[in-house]
Amino acid sequence: MNAPASVLAAAAIGPAQTQQPPLQRDVIASAIAPAIALTQIGKHFDALEVLKDISFDVAPGEIVALLGRSGCGKSTLLNIIAGLLPPDRGSLRFHGQDASAYQGWRRIAYMFQEDRLLPWRTVRDNVMFGLESGRMRKSEQRKRADRALQLVDLEAFSSAWPHQLSGGMRSRVALARSLVIEPDILLMDEPFSKLDPHTRTHMHDELLRLHQITGLTIVFVTHDVEEAIVLADRVVVLEPRPGRIGEIVPLSPSLARPRHPTDIDVAEQVRILRLKG
Amino acid sequence: MMMRFVNLLFQRGVLIAIVAVAWLLASSRVPSFVLPGPAKVWSALQMIAHSDSFLHDVGTTMGRVVSGFVLATLIGTPLGLALGSSKRLAVFFEPILAIFNTVSSAIWAIFAILWFGISDATTVFVVFMTAMPLILTNVWKGAQTVDHLYVGLAQSFRMSRLQILRKIYLPTILPYFFSGARLAFGFGWRVSLVAETLGSSDGIGYRLRQASDLVQSDQVFAWTALLIAMMLLLEAGVLKPLENRLFRWKTTAGAN
Repeated sequence: MNAPASVLAAAAIGPAQTQQPPLQRDVIASAIAPAIALTQIGKHFDALEVLKDISFDVAPGEIVALLGRSGCGKSTLLNIIAGLLPPDRGSLRFHGQDASAYQGWRRIAYMFQEDRLLPWRTVRDNVMFGLESGRMRKSEQRKRADRALQLVDLEAFSSAWPHQLSGGMRSRVALARSLVIEPDILLMDEPFSKLDPHTRTHMHDELLRLHQITGLTIVFVTHDVEEAIVLADRVVVLEPRPGRIGEIVPLSPSLARPRHPTDIDVAEQVRILRLKG
Repeated sequence: MMMRFVNLLFQRGVLIAIVAVAWLLASSRVPSFVLPGPAKVWSALQMIAHSDSFLHDVGTTMGRVVSGFVLATLIGTPLGLALGSSKRLAVFFEPILAIFNTVSSAIWAIFAILWFGISDATTVFVVFMTAMPLILTNVWKGAQTVDHLYVGLAQSFRMSRLQILRKIYLPTILPYFFSGARLAFGFGWRVSLVAETLGSSDGIGYRLRQASDLVQSDQVFAWTALLIAMMLLLEAGVLKPLENRLFRWKTTAGAN
């Protein structure tokens, strides 16, 4: 919203600047294809069936919550989407492209439950960490890290050490580290669950603001109904043993933004979903 | 801050005065071959510093210590990394490490003389055998503390194994390596003298023994004073600043 013009520009041209082959070779296909398409994904850990028949699409720019109790396989599903775990069955495509190729292009960012900032690196060097697996020049890495820090309003702290920051600030650095690769898709595994409620609400606003600037596709895992409803366009409710889709609840556009937990319609929706769980 | 510094300076001054007075008093009551006085030691010091072989001796000893130490680092670090990354390997080799840690440097020195005779290799070997297990053990301990969450982070950015080694393992291990290396260097330095008194024909250890054989107590004291001065200089001039620089991230308090 109120981000500097350069940041807006950077976010808009982001994907085209990355070092990997452009998406344009399948312009039409990818224009109509969903950002993420899961078809009958299944996963076993030895004899235990963790995921069964998971099928749903995520539209470009959409925010989808994977909601469920612990043990329903939601983190496993997220790891499969991220390419950190292979599925046993089913197919996975991104923007109409083959999953393993797409995952290799570094267009998917992953945010963990913990901030995982490296204590021996300054804030800026932590953000740069996201770029160091590629072949980008150091000066370019630094420029992008500074831009990402600007995006989360932490440019003043670029030379601070992680232990000097508050929980919310650390979380924003982790967010900047995810955004520095200028991804199309952001995956988050209960990213704010370790923060206090106040900071967490603040991070929700922050995330939605960044979503508006960048137009990212976001899939996040949560066990918190309220968090799912405040953030998501759609909620995929997972049920345990084996992990399967119980229901897909559409929220947008019927539930207007911005949403606050104390709004009547939001509270009502939270109540409905809690009763179902 | 300033006050505390002045206070510390004062305390050190008093301590030096006490030691000097005690030394003077004691040396005036016993024969000088048992305890030479400060004046005698001072003149011996000057004589040593101006002798032809002084730089050669100091350089030779330093060279041996550094060679043994570098060898110990080159071999101890990868071994420690290997043991740290594989539990089975660690369990298998643990007894050997226990042996290394129990055999005293004097015994290594005797072995070295058997194997290498009077040569540079004798001292280098003893320094190596003393320093290597220390570095290995510390690197091993460090490798065990590597946080798998950070490894997962690196993997999520699709980093190669080599990149993970460089960007996650090495920074985690560095503080452990550093304390191990410091210990190893200190010990290596001390045992090098033992080795030199037994198995060499030059170097500081050899001069010490020569002086002792000829009952030149003032020279023994002078060499000892020189060694202490050199170690303190190394500590304050190289190791401490290096440590502060490497581990800034641990110590910087709140300020920004």
